[in-house]
Amino acid sequence: MLTVYRWMLCLYPWSYRDEFGEEMTSVFHEARSALPSALAAKISFYRREFCGLLSGALCAHFDRRFGPAIPFPRFDMQPQFRFPRSTVFLMLVIFAGVVLTIAKASSVAGDTLGLAWRSLASVLVFVLLSTCSVAAVVWGILHIRRRSGVHRLDRQLRDHRPVDPDCAFGASSNGSS
Amino acid sequence: METFALSEPVLLVLLSLAEQPRHGYSILKDVESMSGGRVLLSTGTLYGALQRLLNNGWIERVEEEETPRDRRTYRLTTRGLRNLQMEIERMRHLTKMAALRTARKEA
Repeated sequence: MLTVYRWMLCLYPWSYRDEFGEEMTSVFHEARSALPSALAAKISFYRREFCGLLSGALCAHFDRRFGPAIPFPRFDMQPQFRFPRSTVFLMLVIFAGVVLTIAKASSVAGDTLGLAWRSLASVLVFVLLSTCSVAAVVWGILHIRRRSGVHRLDRQLRDHRPVDPDCAFGASSNGSS
Repeated sequence: METFALSEPVLLVLLSLAEQPRHGYSILKDVESMSGGRVLLSTGTLYGALQRLLNNGWIERVEEEETPRDRRTYRLTTRGLRNLQMEIERMRHLTKMAALRTARKEA
């Protein structure tokens, strides 16, 4: 299992792996050694570890590519919310695919509901496209804002305050880290 | 004063380091113990939090020559301690207000 864990560490960016890889492997090894013999505890441990690794690797890549200046900093550190932000989009795509497949199957089989399915599918595709457009616009605004250096100015202004709110984990911070 | 809120795992990691410098596994066990077994951090989550705390200067590595690379120790910085105290103050205010409101409701 340690080999699998080491292999999964390869999912992280190289710099992250270089900095924390050995420590993470060592901590995993210690935690595994201290596991109780109950099967349920073992399953729960491995599930937690591998889900944590997968979401951690995705977050590390995301942070490296787009910077940590994306909102929802409070959710970032909560294991139950540590899923990639593209999940919602992918789920919508999969859902639309399933609906379209059902609609196609219904029409091929001469189902009387075929027309209704086609209408529903059209509406869903329209909603999906609208959502993606809005998401792209919001992402573009965030990206341009980040590139424009506004966040650096904000950070400088904050650094001159007596209280230090330069916090990646603050609910009301700008998401900088 | 600008208010902010820490997530529970990060708060527990900081509280763990506030007591004494610790290495990864020690933090993991201490967080589990402090939360009564409710918060079980995975190594991915723990090191994700540690990386961000390090980048923000809230914690730092204890530089010791004889410390092996796979067992490095972390400690809270002055900045981290100050922010932790602010968070504790925020929570104190929140619980005080909650107690007042619920007492008023009961009365």
